[in-house]
Amino acid sequence: MFAYYMHLAWRSVKRTPVISSLMILTLAVGVAVSMTMVTLQHVMSNNGLAEQNNRIYALQLNSASTGPASSTNTLKNGLPYLLSYRTAMALLDSNIPEHQIAMHRWAAAVSLQDNRVKPSKEVIRVTTKDFFALFGVPFIYGKVWDKQADYDAQYQVVLDRPTNERLFNGENSVGRSIQLNGKPYQIVGIVEEFAPQPSVQDLSQGAFGGNAGIYLPFGLHRALSMMPYGTMSCSITGDNIQFPTDPVEQYNFILQNRCFWLQYWAELPTAQSKTAFVDYVTGYYEEQRKNDFFEREFKYALSTPSEWLELNGVVSNDTRVMTWMALTFLVVCIINSIALLLAKLLRQSSEAGVRRALGASRSAIFSQNLLESGLIGILGGVLGIGFSQLGLGFVRMLVSRDEAQVVYSDAYTIAITVLLALLASMLAGCYPAWRISKTSPAQSLKSQ
Amino acid sequence: MLKMEHIAKVFRTDTVATHALRDFSLHVKAGEFVSVTGPSGAGKTTFLNIAGLLEPFDGGSYQLDGISVHGLSDSQRSKLRNEKIGFIFQGFNLIPDLNIFDNVDVPLRYRGFGRAERKRRIEDALAKVGLSARAKHLPSQLSGGQQQRAAIARALAGEPAFLLADEPTGNLDTTMARQVMELLEQINSQGTTIVMVTHDPELARRAQRNIQIVDGEVADLTLRQAV
Ligand SMILES: Nc1ncnc2c1ncn2[C@@H]1O[C@H](COP(=O)(O)OP(=O)(O)OP(=O)(O)O)[C@@H](O)[C@H]1O
Ligand SMILES: [Mg+2]
Repeated sequence: MFAYYMHLAWRSVKRTPVISSLMILTLAVGVAVSMTMVTLQHVMSNNGLAEQNNRIYALQLNSASTGPASSTNTLKNGLPYLLSYRTAMALLDSNIPEHQIAMHRWAAAVSLQDNRVKPSKEVIRVTTKDFFALFGVPFIYGKVWDKQADYDAQYQVVLDRPTNERLFNGENSVGRSIQLNGKPYQIVGIVEEFAPQPSVQDLSQGAFGGNAGIYLPFGLHRALSMMPYGTMSCSITGDNIQFPTDPVEQYNFILQNRCFWLQYWAELPTAQSKTAFVDYVTGYYEEQRKNDFFEREFKYALSTPSEWLELNGVVSNDTRVMTWMALTFLVVCIINSIALLLAKLLRQSSEAGVRRALGASRSAIFSQNLLESGLIGILGGVLGIGFSQLGLGFVRMLVSRDEAQVVYSDAYTIAITVLLALLASMLAGCYPAWRISKTSPAQSLKSQ
Repeated sequence: MLKMEHIAKVFRTDTVATHALRDFSLHVKAGEFVSVTGPSGAGKTTFLNIAGLLEPFDGGSYQLDGISVHGLSDSQRSKLRNEKIGFIFQGFNLIPDLNIFDNVDVPLRYRGFGRAERKRRIEDALAKVGLSARAKHLPSQLSGGQQQRAAIARALAGEPAFLLADEPTGNLDTTMARQVMELLEQINSQGTTIVMVTHDPELARRAQRNIQIVDGEVADLTLRQAV
């Protein structure tokens, strides 16, 4: 019977091409607009680190000074989103977390000694060695630098697969070297690409700015007087503060003061380890409060990757509001389709009367007409996919290049699109189909 | 075959209640050809619709082929209608954008026959009404008489025991009307019970029995009891 109804539906769509196209178009536009927004929200709220959600935590401390608080460097929970070098180094001493990292973004001109590739400025992640273990980034060749490189300057580097492909055609380049700002660094390992969208590990440079293809050991700071390619805010108050004039001392001053520029993640797989770590952090904080490095009362936050996304406002309320508006628009489109369908189907009521006289039950008439709506829905959905691709293309034109890379619909959103259209049209079709199946056949026969 | 006892049918609108049928009783035996006449508005169509299970009634009882139709669900009534009853209308009521073959196919689809069975029945029915050559034509491409014959083929395809015709010749000229009448007689001679509403006294007389409805009642008692 399904095939028969489908055949009838197709015939009916062909018989009223204008009204049918209008319905298909209405649904397609409604679906496309809402799908564009849903895709956007889906992309923005995507958590590339969802698997580690109950293992790894971003750490925040109430480390701002008591001066007028600058809200730009704090998150929704009122805590600064970065840590100071001094704090990071102290916390790294703890052996409670299974893995823990302090890191920041940096940038340098990348070249090869033989000048085979054009020098280019690249984003670099400067991190302690646990980065790869903590985020689960597997090594293809070689291994991570030694622990010592997190403390002393060792000119080593880890590349990710795309970078290695670009520079060395994907060969095992371990043992060879690249130049950063003209200085040679020995390659110790090649890892898989780690580029979650959004870049959960570091959201300080926007939702997509935290990914890098080159990794340097943390111990290089003093040797290079490294400053982050990103945010650093210092909150230094007091009466007798003298900013040193000597460059080395100056850099030391930054490292030892309330300058916030490091992301800090800890892997705490069990509740016990989490409690123990909090105790450790508390102890450190209270101790440092005594010597006035911390001025405020103790407060901390350990956020899972999804909490971290939420806290950083990656899925902004704008996106959410827009999504709701788009869905409301879809409802309007559905209501419109109901009106169009009603007009169309009621014109078919005398045919329904004949079918009833020839033995069709009410439910048969209902199914036949509902299926017709369903067909329109599928057509609307398919067209809607096309439209939403256009819509996303438009969005890509509006947003930054980083963001544009990820504003594509995946199988998930495409499936949702079709389902939505189908659901929308079935919903739209229910009432007209019910109406027509309820009409007395004697009545509709007479009206012919 | 058909046994109506004291059937009442009232159409109510906000202001008036029309008694379309009152205390309407009628028996039709299997194989009979009954013609129904009566003034306009007397309740003839109402009677056919109730007989054909298209319309509920307000009082009395109705048995079709031994089955009391009171209290049947919609799908049971539809099934009964599909299997036992064929309808022929004054306005032919062919589905305009289905060709003749597909029109005749409609009741068979709801019957749930397989493709081969449907094809055989459609071809048989079209042959019976002399329209085999027109199977692929649309209704609008046929004359009125041909359209009515197509409608008769559609009514016959399911081999119903009972044919209900509401002024089947009302839209046809005399020659075509006669052709259709002959066709109906032929169908009746093969065992199908027919109840036909008509305004044409000549055609009415050709039936085995004529009943007259006046004001929602069977008027001629002698005829009613002559069964
Ligand atoms: N749906 C309805 N609502 C209200 N009144 C109705 C309805 N259908 C029929 N009637 C009334 O019931 C009465 C019988 O109508 P019916 O159609 O059975 O007459 P008929 O004998 O077939 O007439 P005709 O020869 O003109 O076709 C009429 O008075 C008509 O006005
Ligand atoms: Mg009538």
